[in-house]
Amino acid sequence: MLNRTVAAITLRAVFGRRRAIVFGLPPLVLILVTVALKASHPPSGSGWPGHVLGDFGFSVILPLTALIIGTSVLGAEIDDGSIVHLLATPVRRSSVIVTKFTVAALLTMAFAAVPELIAALIASGGAGRFAIGVFAGALAGSMIYNALFVMVSVLTTRAIAVGLLYVLVWEVVLGNFVSGARLLSVEQYSLGVANSIARDSNLNAALNLRTAVIMGAIVTVIALVLATRRLSEFSLKGDAV
Amino acid sequence: MSTAIELQNVSRWYGNVVAVNDVTMMIGPGVTGLLGPNGAGKSTVLHLIAGFLPPSRGTLTVGGKPSWRNPDIYKTVGLVPERDSVYAFLTGAEFVGATARLHKLADPEGATRRAIGIVDMAAAQDRRISTYSKGMRQRIKVAAALVHDPTVLLLDEPFNGMDPRQRLHMMDLLTRLGAEGRTILLSSHILEEVERLAGTIQVIVSGRLAASGDFRAIRRLMTSRPHVFLVRTSDDRLLGSALIGSSAVTGVELTGRGLQVRASDYGAFSREIAGVTRDRGIRLRELLPEDESLESVFAYLIES
Amino acid sequence: MSADAATAGVIHDIGYRRYTGQRLGRAGIIRALYWHSLRSAFGIGRGAKAKIIPALTFVVICLPAVANAVAVARGSARIVPYDTYAFQLRVVVMIIYIAAQAPELVSRDLRSHVLPLYFCRPLRRLDYPLAKLAAFITACLIMIEVPLLILYLGTIAQSHGGSAIWNQTKALIPGLLVGVMWAVLLAAIGLVLASLSGRRAYATGAIAIFFFLTWILAGILISVNTRNVVHAVRVAPGAGGGVGPGPGKPVFITQVPTNAAHLSGLASPFTILDGVRQWLGGTSPSPLPGVGSYGALYGVALLVLLAASIGGLAVRYRKAGVA
Repeated sequence: MLNRTVAAITLRAVFGRRRAIVFGLPPLVLILVTVALKASHPPSGSGWPGHVLGDFGFSVILPLTALIIGTSVLGAEIDDGSIVHLLATPVRRSSVIVTKFTVAALLTMAFAAVPELIAALIASGGAGRFAIGVFAGALAGSMIYNALFVMVSVLTTRAIAVGLLYVLVWEVVLGNFVSGARLLSVEQYSLGVANSIARDSNLNAALNLRTAVIMGAIVTVIALVLATRRLSEFSLKGDAV
Repeated sequence: MSTAIELQNVSRWYGNVVAVNDVTMMIGPGVTGLLGPNGAGKSTVLHLIAGFLPPSRGTLTVGGKPSWRNPDIYKTVGLVPERDSVYAFLTGAEFVGATARLHKLADPEGATRRAIGIVDMAAAQDRRISTYSKGMRQRIKVAAALVHDPTVLLLDEPFNGMDPRQRLHMMDLLTRLGAEGRTILLSSHILEEVERLAGTIQVIVSGRLAASGDFRAIRRLMTSRPHVFLVRTSDDRLLGSALIGSSAVTGVELTGRGLQVRASDYGAFSREIAGVTRDRGIRLRELLPEDESLESVFAYLIES
Repeated sequence: MSADAATAGVIHDIGYRRYTGQRLGRAGIIRALYWHSLRSAFGIGRGAKAKIIPALTFVVICLPAVANAVAVARGSARIVPYDTYAFQLRVVVMIIYIAAQAPELVSRDLRSHVLPLYFCRPLRRLDYPLAKLAAFITACLIMIEVPLLILYLGTIAQSHGGSAIWNQTKALIPGLLVGVMWAVLLAAIGLVLASLSGRRAYATGAIAIFFFLTWILAGILISVNTRNVVHAVRVAPGAGGGVGPGPGKPVFITQVPTNAAHLSGLASPFTILDGVRQWLGGTSPSPLPGVGSYGALYGVALLVLLAASIGGLAVRYRKAGVA
């Protein structure tokens, strides 16, 4: 299923640009904020670890890092047409999608989930349920978000804009006001997983573990299947159009 | 010999724009040129054959199997696309090597070496592609398309950006490959190269197949247009007045370069000209066809 | 044609001509650049698709003013303050507008490498970014001040008497000044972030991520640093209902910001702007619960951000042919 050559090319492509530095910025902000808050001793009872790692970490840092990484494993290649060289070989399209998805998910886990863990450890002062829960939720989110964003990269050339609209409008704005939207929100899946271990009401998780895992798995599978279908039908425009 | 590429009533449209209009053609081994002005649909036809566009109507097969949504076809087909988009961050050797591995070749390193040697890029293979000139990029793309020893090779405007020496080298290469029995299809609007290279041409104008076959034979098929000759003699005016009396001739014109003769019947004219000049004591110095080149064939086809 | 034409033949020289008219100098170029950029900021002169986001965001940001006009016509007092307007709405709308439109002004020229063409004209190096900045500030001013004006007009339409109108005007002026601050700072930040990339998608992403991330961060820091203080309600004896301590004793909770909450506003340009407003005397409530004794710090932060943005633009465009 996984193709080593595709993975190697993808990694080279992702880290070959200066843009790779940007991966590290949002997680860095999260850690700095956590350290600053810890040092400034905010009032107890404010439940700030849950707020910061939930409302900020899972709502902003995780999806945005996943967006930057998920759209760069495939988006640029499709945009400038160099994907043709990959597709003009007998490599299975599903293999291409799954390999790129895996690379993106692993990178996001490294650049977002691990910093979340570090921040959670700092915030809660130790490796307790909170930190483990946050880490698990972030791992789940890394996977589901990337499946979604890889699919969006194949479906449209404006993947970043669509991804931003989803994160900013659907998840943050609607998710806070329309309860039905929470069922279709990757943030809620991640929070659901996190909360099942951490049991912290400040995380504002709306779904239980079973719902989160089932919906998350469904979204991931559907996204990857759609992406594979679309990639199999990849078209080059002729010069007449 | 089985036909490698077969199109039957293939059409492709985008909304209201018909890019390829009811094209039927069969392409066999050897070098075939796909000719046409810009925007005629040559790239579209190539992408259809390469499996990167589905036909809106009609059937298209390569080696007996359709190319759309069929990645296995790339085991025997190599594509050199026109767009100047390669993995610029890889070196030439890495790019061809990666392609070899994606083709699951038994000996990727050997195949890479061979392919790079064929296109004469061994000196630059360890430099990043972003440092290559346009001609070098074309050649490395050809190497990647050849690495798996395909029986069918599709090239979209392969001579773009090449200097004359590189062009000659590429033409040599393509001739050799064609002589080995492979099916080579190249698209171009640079007529001189295709003239020298391709035995058969397929002419696409405005999405339609305007002509196919040997280009000289095509030319002759168009007897409705007069053939034009340029004659230089000792007495052009006298010859002109004599020729206009012949039924094979539709017009004469005295130009600075000689006597331009329009002949409606090529065969009859070429039989008559010697007799007419001898009978009148005119010395025939030079007789040239003015419009045998592909360019004039083209121009006629486009005008019609 | 008269018979004379046949005898008097004239060969018309319609070949290449040199331009001998007036040439506008540097000022003309700057004016043209300014005007063209301002039009681009609203998608004018491009197709219909380029006008969608400017039109939508403009309509949305005017909605509170329209709602106010309707309410005032029904007899209530003005419901929307001039100095904060509808704060959250304005933040979201401006993020979307700037993220969408700043790249239109700046990233296109970078992508198509036309800067050398600009700079081989009598145009000084800094004229280009300053003209673009002036145009984008004007565009943001339109987005921010026009709703305020609609608010004003909608209110005074129902006012009677000069003093009522004068009161409204007195309240409007600070609001307009706050709007100017907003337009200047946000336009500068938007342009410098957009100039980082020639691809509009990346520029849009960078701007949206920066504004959005800092905005959420500020909100969280504020809420986390706010203590909940529980006050007991004294119920007078004999007033009916339960008297004295016991279950069901009514309480209410106030939010008291700590010093850290006052400082949290420095995390986001929007709260910095609001901090300066409160420091200068603005009293309408906003997500930032006061600046405590740090008012001057907010003023400094505003100037530093502005200087950094303009400086960033100058550095970016110092070399022509910037890719």
